[in-house]
Amino acid sequence: MVNGKELGLEPAATVAHLLGELGLEGPYALVERNGEPVERERYGEVTLEEGDSVVVARPVAGG
Amino acid sequence: MNDPLTIAGREFRSRLITGTGKYPSFEVMRDAVVASGCELVTVAVQRIDLDEVGEAITDWLPDGVMLLPNTAGCRTVEDAVRVARLARAGGLPDWIKLEVIPDPRYLLPDGEETLRAAAQLVEEGFTVLPYVLPDPVLQKKLEAVGCATVMPLAAPIGSGRGLKLRHTIEIMVEQAEVPVIVDAGLGAPSQAAECMEMGADGVLVNTAIGLAGDPATMARAFAMGVEAGRAAHLAGLIDESREARPSSPITGLVTS
Repeated sequence: MVNGKELGLEPAATVAHLLGELGLEGPYALVERNGEPVERERYGEVTLEEGDSVVVARPVAGG
Repeated sequence: MNDPLTIAGREFRSRLITGTGKYPSFEVMRDAVVASGCELVTVAVQRIDLDEVGEAITDWLPDGVMLLPNTAGCRTVEDAVRVARLARAGGLPDWIKLEVIPDPRYLLPDGEETLRAAAQLVEEGFTVLPYVLPDPVLQKKLEAVGCATVMPLAAPIGSGRGLKLRHTIEIMVEQAEVPVIVDAGLGAPSQAAECMEMGADGVLVNTAIGLAGDPATMARAFAMGVEAGRAAHLAGLIDESREARPSSPITGLVTS
């Protein structure tokens, strides 16, 4: 589940793969996997498992 | 005049911090940020709508402007810490504008939860800028746990009512050991000037610029208000007097 939406990903897809699929390769895609933040440096190595709950966020307008 | 605002050892030439919300478009926002001359802008953190990804605000912010993520929408310590950790892990600065706000009507912050969250985030290595009700006692506690600034509200967020809580903020300014940034409620550049004349170290403005008829011009006007107020504070304001004090000679008059 990514942001509450079920996504089909290839086996052993990494966070970087996911962001690529979503067109979010830019510098400020923020990722949380199963409630834990993922360090940007590890996006290419952290793999996603079936049943994982992922949040993808980013900076938006705010005061 | 070389008079930087220093927060956690980092110097900012401008004492105006701006928010990025409420603008009609990213283009208008960018022009206003440029016109303001500010070097620190706040952003919120939000889940991406995967059905409508849209543009990224960071593509529109001018180079050299530091992002200050906030914890808007967080009602508890746990929420605020979660957002701060997510922002830092993803590459945003480890500075956080800490907002813990349980009250949706007046958007008044929870001082007790803010203090707990601040202590935890400082412990985790964040530079914490907490948004609070003006409260000189809470200010000292936030300083004691290591906050980099204290940011009292002048009036409720977005209200444009001005420096309604002046007398308590004055006490905070008087006893401050870290910068006091007046955050929220300002509606006009004259009110920003009033904050600075009073001795505040800076102001944070969003709605009054973002919803102005011409945001870029209003941003510049706020910058000038902040500069004027700061200069006046440094120059030294006169004491008020109940009675008139003549500016011209009162003896040797032509008519005497």
